[in-house]
Formats: sequence, structure tokens, C-alpha cells
Amino acid sequence: MNENPYEPASPAAPAPAPSQPRVLLPFEFRGSGSEYFRIWIVNLLLTIVTLGIYSAWAKVRRLRYFYGNTFVDGQSFDYHGQPLAILKGRLIVVAGYVVFIIASKMFPIGAGLIAILLAFFGVPWIIMRSRKFQLRMTSYRNLRFNFDGTFGGAMSAFIGWYFLAVLTLGILFPVWVRKRVQYSLDNASYGNQNFSFLTGNGTYYKFCLITFFLGLAVYLGVFLTLLGLPGMREVMFPGEGSATGVEIMATAGLMGAVLVIGGIIALLGIAGYYQASFANAAFGGIMAGSQFVRSNLRAWPLIGIYVTNLFAIIFTLGLYYPWAKVRQLRYQLDNTAIDSDGNLAAFTAASGEGIDAVGEEVGDFFDVDFGI
Amino acid sequence: MIAGRYFDGRSAAGVDASLNFGADGKVHLHGAVIPIAFPLAEVQVSERVGNITRRITLPNGGVFETHDNDAVDQALELAGIQRGSALVHWLESRWHIAVASLAAVVLVSVAFVHWGVPAVANWAADVMPANVDRSIGAGTLDVLDRVAFRPSDLPNERQQELRKRFIDMTQPLDDGHEYQLEFRHGGLIGANAFALPSGIIVMTDELVELSRRDDELVSVLAHEVGHVRGRHALRQMLQAAGISTLAFALLGDVSSISGVLAAAPALLQAKYSRDFEREADSFAKLWLREHGIAESNFDAILCRMSATDGKVQDEDNFDFFASHPSTTERVRCTKEADAEKDGAAAEVEASTASPTD
Repeated sequence: MNENPYEPASPAAPAPAPSQPRVLLPFEFRGSGSEYFRIWIVNLLLTIVTLGIYSAWAKVRRLRYFYGNTFVDGQSFDYHGQPLAILKGRLIVVAGYVVFIIASKMFPIGAGLIAILLAFFGVPWIIMRSRKFQLRMTSYRNLRFNFDGTFGGAMSAFIGWYFLAVLTLGILFPVWVRKRVQYSLDNASYGNQNFSFLTGNGTYYKFCLITFFLGLAVYLGVFLTLLGLPGMREVMFPGEGSATGVEIMATAGLMGAVLVIGGIIALLGIAGYYQASFANAAFGGIMAGSQFVRSNLRAWPLIGIYVTNLFAIIFTLGLYYPWAKVRQLRYQLDNTAIDSDGNLAAFTAASGEGIDAVGEEVGDFFDVDFGI
Repeated sequence: MIAGRYFDGRSAAGVDASLNFGADGKVHLHGAVIPIAFPLAEVQVSERVGNITRRITLPNGGVFETHDNDAVDQALELAGIQRGSALVHWLESRWHIAVASLAAVVLVSVAFVHWGVPAVANWAADVMPANVDRSIGAGTLDVLDRVAFRPSDLPNERQQELRKRFIDMTQPLDDGHEYQLEFRHGGLIGANAFALPSGIIVMTDELVELSRRDDELVSVLAHEVGHVRGRHALRQMLQAAGISTLAFALLGDVSSISGVLAAAPALLQAKYSRDFEREADSFAKLWLREHGIAESNFDAILCRMSATDGKVQDEDNFDFFASHPSTTERVRCTKEADAEKDGAAAEVEASTASPTD
């Protein structure tokens, strides 16, 4: 694949205060696969037995397990989502969906229009609410995170820039990717300290282009391999080749195998590179006051984790899943740190921390996480 | 005394502190600027999950954090506070419970795959109009014509003859499907017949040649009509969607495997396919019985088809990936049965006096 998959975190050069020495505070994950396995399987069974109702409680326990085992500077994060609120949000979404299905039977055209409107206006709204829910429900050292992104901002980042990317035939695609991350991070805050997002367009163009060419190379590789198979020409251009039926049938089978295996390798390889670059660009671009997040994920180790996780999950018929999840998260956190002035205690609470509950839980249903 | 750290909620600065559940029904915090105490009822203790940091939220907005989960649990027990959530943690921390849960999840999943998914797919298919089926198989015959088939060599009159019987068979069904019979030279596929979801049923010349009576061909057609009528292609798709949903529900979002989870339905396709074959078989037999045609016609042609397949079928080995049930399961191909069949077939021939025989 590429020669140097290492994607350095490249926010604008930080300006350290001259008086204070900088320290690197690494993130750390203290959970274990075997512990999470027991939590996972017990909650899975409870969810099944309660016909899915318990899933809201299971979700809270799962997130609290992961947040609570994530440490930086000796302190852990915590998740404060309330199962009943999450359940309520899910019921609202399900009820809305049922109403929509019934309405679409009665008024197919009207329902179709509503679906299009929902896609345009509903999706950004949901993203906004879900970001707000996720961050407000997260605390560290008894201070909450917050999110004050607007609906207009979400419309612009997710829909406006999407259309610009399409209209320019993808030339602005990396800008669209960046705008989405920027919306999520620029509007975030911890206590009364707003976050800034520092990663520039150049970084996004670089890894999007590399991803594009990797994808193209894999696509061409698979295509050329298929062309080389006997009988393939016959399938694609009937009447031109001289392959027999047996050859054609064998080719069809081989074609399936090549596509499946090649597809999986391509998927994992490209996903590893893209995810590493994406996380570095996103998390590595966070500045909160005089603290900077550093993210140094590398593609090859991540691809290695993806591949071994995949085979372990297949050969254990899914049982390895909890270990896989922990491994993936641990790699990410082990390579993330806060470049700090050593004074994380200096953050203070924002004034007037009221929680406006309506709609936040609805956003939670769609759970549009990114990165982690 | 439980050791930990106290965060007042106004700044991120914490202080080392300790806390105890007093006999006076109050929670005492030491280490903050001044010692403070709150009634136990106003204090919130977070649920224990694994061994994550325990959070004790005080009514003044401050939080006492500790890693000493066992001490907190003991104190709660002494204070007489029992919670349902403690039970969940108890379940989560025991290996034998985890193993038992695993066994239960596997059992439920297997039951879901065996009964749940087909039942839901069947219900969903019933709700969908018949023209959905037509859109599924559109274009399939074109592809097959290109890759596998040649035009039929059967004389036109023979085709018309069989088509007439087919129309006699399908017209009274009146189930919203547009049935149509097509003939092709099978080549590699050999003696066979199959149904497309659109209602087109393709029969190969080889099958017509293999048959000894038209009733045998009619019995095969009845089987194929059973596939169309049972909407097996649509239900197959719906069941695949159901399996995908199950796989995602169980294994969630490990990003590296989501692509592979999409392939999960393929592993179960063969099992569902065998179930559909059995369903089509029973439709065919019922139809034959209702129309006074001996079921042995179906057995006879099936046995002859599997005999001319050229491969020796190892009937004792159950093949999970086989798309059809074994022929011995479907019909009895013993010599005894053959003898019976010949007798029965002779009777039927005599009574129907089919002009082609």
C-alpha cells in the first residue's frame, strides 16, 4: 500500500506559554476484554428476554464501562445518560416511523415528499441533537462537556457543503469531510472553555486523495484479475469469446471468490488507513485553552488490528467481539494524548448549566458517533 | 473511611478526600475546605459497572470519586440500601453466569433463525402486493439465456400441448401471479425446471425427454408453481434481511467486521432454500391429489432426475450447504416403491387416457 501511512497530527503549531513547561498526558484504557465479555453477554441476554426494552439500560452500562475506564491525568470520564430518557427517545422514533409507514400507505406522494424533507432537514437536526446529548452526558472531573452547534450550522456543514461537493464532482469532498468534523468540534466545550478545531483543509485533501487512489488501485486490480480469467470475456461481451459453458461456470464461481476476498482485504486496508488519518485529523485538531490533543494513530497497526479482529471473530463465531472492541479502543487511546501546560485543574464550570431535555434523547437513537 | 477525590463541580481541580457512611444516617466527607455531611437519602451513588470509578454525587453538586468499589458496596450494604442494579453487576461479574447467558443467547438465536425469521418474512410477504415479485426476477431469464441456455429444440406442437396443460393448471389458481411456461435447451444444466419470481417457469428439453408421461411433467410444474405461489424468492430476500438484522444486533459496530456481517445471510441461505423445497413439494403433492393425479408421478421423475445427475449421492451425509433436501428424504426411490409406482402409474394412465401416451 502506501509507503508512509503515518499521518502526523498537524494542527497549526501550538503557541506554548513560555513560562510553563509542556507535558504530554497520555490517554489510557483500563478495561479488559474478559470483563467486558461478561457485561456484554449478560446485557445481551437481558435485552433479548425483555424484547429489546432493556437495551436502553444495556447501552448506558456499556457506555459507562468504556467512559469510566478511559483515563487521562489519573482521572476517568463518566457517562450520565439516563436509560428511561433513552427509552423514551427510542419509543418516539419508533412511533414516528410507524405513523410514517401508515401515512405512506394512505398518501404515498405526500409521504414521499415528507421523506425527502426529513432527509434534508431532519438529518442535520438529529445530528445536532445527538452531538448535544453525547457531550452533555459526558463529564470529567465533575465538569460537563457541552455542545452549542446551531441547526443552521448543521444544515450548512452536512447539506450545504454536500451539494457543493457534488456540484464540483467531488473536488470539494475533503472540505465537506472537514466541515462536518469542524461543526462537531468547534462547537464543543468543556466547562466554560470552548474548543477550537485547528486542522486545515490540506490535511483532509491529502488523506482523502490517498484513500481515493488506494480505492482506485484496488478496483483496477480486481477488475484486471477478473479480465484475466478464462471465460470472463464471454460473460462480459457475449458472443466474442470461445469459452465453453464449463469455463463460464467456473469463472462465475472464481469471480465470486475474488470479489469477496479482494473486497474484504480492500475494505480493511483502506478503512484502516482512512480511520487512522481521520482520527488524527479530527482529534489531533482539538485545542481547549492551552491544551492540545495529539493523535498519532498509524495505518498499519490499525489494519493489523482490523484483520486479526475479523478472523478472530469469524473463527470464534462472534465470541471474540468484546475483546475486539476493547483492543480497537485501546490502540486508539494509547496513541492519543493531551499536550498540556500541566494544569488541567484550571478548567471551571460554565454558568447556568440547565439541561433542556426535549429532543436530545431522540438524537441519541441514531447514535451518530464518530471516531471512537 | 473510603479514600478518593472530591470535585466541587465549579472547577476541575480536585482534592484528596475521604468519605464515610455514618451511623447517624449521614454521609460525611473529609478533606474539602470544611468537613461536610449530608443525609444518606440525598446522596446518589452511581451504579457499579465492572470496576470503573464510583461516583458519589452530593446535593451541593460536588462529586466524590473513588476506585474502592468494594468499600462502597460494603458501606451501602451496612446502610441497608439494596438496589436492582447491584444484581446486574452481580450477574456481570460471574463467569458461570456469563457462560449460562451465552448458552441462552445461542439457543434464542437458533430458535429465531429457525422459526422467527421465516415467520416474520412470511407475514411481511403477505402484506406486499404480488407485483413486488415481478420486479425481483425481471431480467433473470435474459442473463440465463446468455450464459446457460440455448433455444429449445422441442417441436412447436409439443410445446403448445404442454402449455395448454400448464394453463389449465394455473388459470384456476387466480392468485395474482402471471404464470408463463418457457422451454429452453438446458445444456449443462441438464434435465431440470425452475421458477422465476415473476411467474415464468422454465423447463428444459432434457426434462421433457426424460419424462415417460405428461403427468410427470405436470407434477414438476406443480412443484415450480408452488415456489411462485409461496413467493419463495421474496421471502428468501426478506429472511436474508432478517438475518442481517440479527447479526448486527448481536455484534454491533466493530468497524472492521461490518462488511463481513453483510455476508452472514449467505451462510443460512441453504437451510432456508431446503425449507422452501419442502414447501413446494407439499404444494405439488396436494395439488396432484386434488386433481386425481398419482403422487408417484412426482416421485418417479425426481428419482430419474437424480439418477441421471451422474453423481452418486451420499445420502447418509447431511450436507448443510445443500440447496435441496436429499432425494431419499423427499421421495422413496426403493425398488419396492418403484414397483408400486409403476402399478399406480399404469392405473392413472388407463383412467386418464392421455392422448400423448
